[in-house]
Amino acid sequence: MTFGYLLTLLVNGLVIGAFYALLAMGLSLIFGVLEIVNFAHGEFYMLGALAALLAINYLHLGYWTTIVTVTLAGACVGWLFHRALLGGLAGHSFERSLLLTLGLGMVLQNGALYIFTATPQIVRTQFGMSSILLVDVRLTWVRLFALVWAAVGLIGLYLLLYRTRIGQAMRAVAENREAALIVGIRPERVARLAVMAGIALCFMSGAALAPVYVVTPTMGLIFAFKSFAIVVIGGFGSIGGAALAALSLGVIEALVGGTMSLVLADAVAFVAMILVLLFRPLGLFGTGVRI
Amino acid sequence: MTLLRVERLRKTYLGVKALDDVSFTVAAGEIAGLIGPNGSGKSTTIDCLSAFQRADAGRWHLGGIELTGRAPYAIARLGLTRTFQAVRCYDALSLIDNLTCATEARHAVGWRDAFFATARLRAHEDAARTRAAELLDLVGLTRYAEAPAGILSYGQRKLLALAGALMTEPKIILLDEPVAGVNPTMIRLIEQAIGRINQAGIALLIVEHNVEFIMALCRRVIVLDAGRLLAEGPPAIIRDDPRVLEAYMGGAPDDIGAEALA
Amino acid sequence: MRFGALLVGIAALYALPLCGLSEYWMTVAVTACAFAVLSQGLNLVYGYGGLLSLAQVTFWGLGAYAAALLAMELGWSPWATLPVAGLVAVLAGLGVGYASLRLSRHSFAIVSLVLALLVQLVARDWQSLTRGPLGIPGLPTLRIGDVEFASAARFYWPMLSFALVALAVIWRVMRSRIGRLLLAIRQNEALAGSHGIDALAHRLLAIGLSALLSGVAGGLFAFKLTIVDPSVLDFYYTESMLIMVIIGGPGSFWGVTIAAVVFTVVPELLRLSSELRMVLYGAVLVGAMMVMPAGFGGLVVRYREKRWRARLA
Repeated sequence: MTFGYLLTLLVNGLVIGAFYALLAMGLSLIFGVLEIVNFAHGEFYMLGALAALLAINYLHLGYWTTIVTVTLAGACVGWLFHRALLGGLAGHSFERSLLLTLGLGMVLQNGALYIFTATPQIVRTQFGMSSILLVDVRLTWVRLFALVWAAVGLIGLYLLLYRTRIGQAMRAVAENREAALIVGIRPERVARLAVMAGIALCFMSGAALAPVYVVTPTMGLIFAFKSFAIVVIGGFGSIGGAALAALSLGVIEALVGGTMSLVLADAVAFVAMILVLLFRPLGLFGTGVRI
Repeated sequence: MTLLRVERLRKTYLGVKALDDVSFTVAAGEIAGLIGPNGSGKSTTIDCLSAFQRADAGRWHLGGIELTGRAPYAIARLGLTRTFQAVRCYDALSLIDNLTCATEARHAVGWRDAFFATARLRAHEDAARTRAAELLDLVGLTRYAEAPAGILSYGQRKLLALAGALMTEPKIILLDEPVAGVNPTMIRLIEQAIGRINQAGIALLIVEHNVEFIMALCRRVIVLDAGRLLAEGPPAIIRDDPRVLEAYMGGAPDDIGAEALA
Repeated sequence: MRFGALLVGIAALYALPLCGLSEYWMTVAVTACAFAVLSQGLNLVYGYGGLLSLAQVTFWGLGAYAAALLAMELGWSPWATLPVAGLVAVLAGLGVGYASLRLSRHSFAIVSLVLALLVQLVARDWQSLTRGPLGIPGLPTLRIGDVEFASAARFYWPMLSFALVALAVIWRVMRSRIGRLLLAIRQNEALAGSHGIDALAHRLLAIGLSALLSGVAGGLFAFKLTIVDPSVLDFYYTESMLIMVIIGGPGSFWGVTIAAVVFTVVPELLRLSSELRMVLYGAVLVGAMMVMPAGFGGLVVRYREKRWRARLA
């Protein structure tokens, strides 16, 4: 158990945690603005990874071009998603949106399975497996860049929510819908942008992590279920809480997985969620918004 | 004799003090009114007393039994029930079924009895259906007894909600804006129904914007302003209280209360 | 008269293996029985309790694994493992139900999903307990005395018997006062609270009962498959169950029973690959939620209301 090993675990945990955060914050944002829990969130992440796989392995686009393009594609898909499916759902029963997004997830996942089969595929970037030694940690370039992208995503989301008018509107709607409507915020526009941002983050996360792990159509659910747990732990409606919970979970999972067992690592999210529900049901940072 | 005692109720919501150390009592068999300008905390009071929102501080007792911190259904079982501002019914159930569900407050039936349809269950159901029919008659909804509640008009739903509250055999009913959005004929009907309920010995605490309604019906009026208790007393005194007038005049100009007091 | 028709129907069901159907089609029949139990369990929890539970498959899978482990590790007789299989499932259901329902029914949906995915991962990765992806093979078959229920045709009888009992129990709960109170809770939870109805207790009853029946069904099925591996926890079961309940109509006992049979048999007739089947189911779900969110049951409610309005006008 060398210091280098622990540090490696910590860094890996931060990378994964950062992407958990991006997904969980997207989920929280969409929920806050539309009151819809997007059960297809993981499948959008998977689509981002698939798109990166196709772009790099088959279209031979460069790494940087791919990630940017895929992120923009994600924003477009988000726009379409809201326009075609979600727009009419706001304010309707929770079960209806749950089943709709779940159904969409089924279509996307099984469609991908049908077309690409379940065989895991590896993304061959121009960096291959080459790595760099930082302090005591050996990091592959793709993992380092993934961390950079995660930071970009987090900063970008922060700027959107706290430094733009429309971001302010999103936070207002998430906190108190009626009040926001009274002061003249148009929910449609806010919702559309929130969904675009959330889905774009999913696509970017998928594309950035695709070279780090492997790509398979079932990767979405397995990744996303942590994000659902995180939203419960952080508290519904608390976007910052989701980020904090996500980063912590990523690090704890990596440490537990590296020192004890992988199964226990997966269980951490679930156990934490149950504990929060039993002792602080509104979430660790919940704003008191009961759904 | 004091039935409901409320002590130092406090509720903060998104940084605003919705209720700030509110204390009052309601006597057994009394009709008390709770009024105040918009945002004074009237509905929040009902929500907290019936545990549909969690009070941040304060205690309340019904007939000596503490209700603080209990779940809504437990409070109903102890004799405090309420109606809702946005009137609620079980839309897909018949009116009779709407009412027979409410006996859970007083005569909860065990699951074994329910599953095996024992004699005890059948006796309970018969008694419940009889009582439900009586109450429907009281509020004039008998012809809709077997129809799904979804077909009722807004005012009829309010009457059904009243009947439902009665089925719980309460000691006190908290009414949350019973005549909001209701036409004058229906207001008279609801007023009569409330009168008959009170004659049966049930206490009532009525929250309303319609101050005229309150002044006509209530023996005692409690006034809230910005979460604090402003005044309380008989309608005649409250009507002339300068502090109450000030609170309403300083509030929204189209408040029904302001007109009624002027 | 209706009771007589029912008896005839049941007799016909029991006579099915005597019709000379192939092993393949008898397996479909057994699967249809299993899905009938699973989807009625979901119907009770969702159609009556108003709780969208994505963990029904987990109760089924936990039951299967519990039965398999007891039989293989401790040498229990298959029949003896079934009650324990049910108990394990009930404990899981009540655990997540209690933790999440104190917050809201929305968190229950999410927690049930997380549980389902977690148990799937655990079954695959906790090799020392569950033998991992290869699963636990070589389970004994069910037998009574000298009679062995190994073939699908033979196994059909215990499976059908269990399914009929399970469905009867669920049907009875739905028709009783318990069912009516669950409907009240589903339609207006806040109002039910003000009427003194303990929503949490009733919902936990529904969850516990459906978990029990699903767990026992899973245990039974394990001794038909004679091998239990992580595929028994596949999301495919959840997706099928959802279609059966949504299309059959949440809250409609007969609708869901018929849908369970239809959606087990028809895909086999059409010989769709399982991925395409799921794409189709997903598309149906999306379409139904856009166009007919209350399902056929919702149409029935609206129709009844129209009739009453006309009658009372």
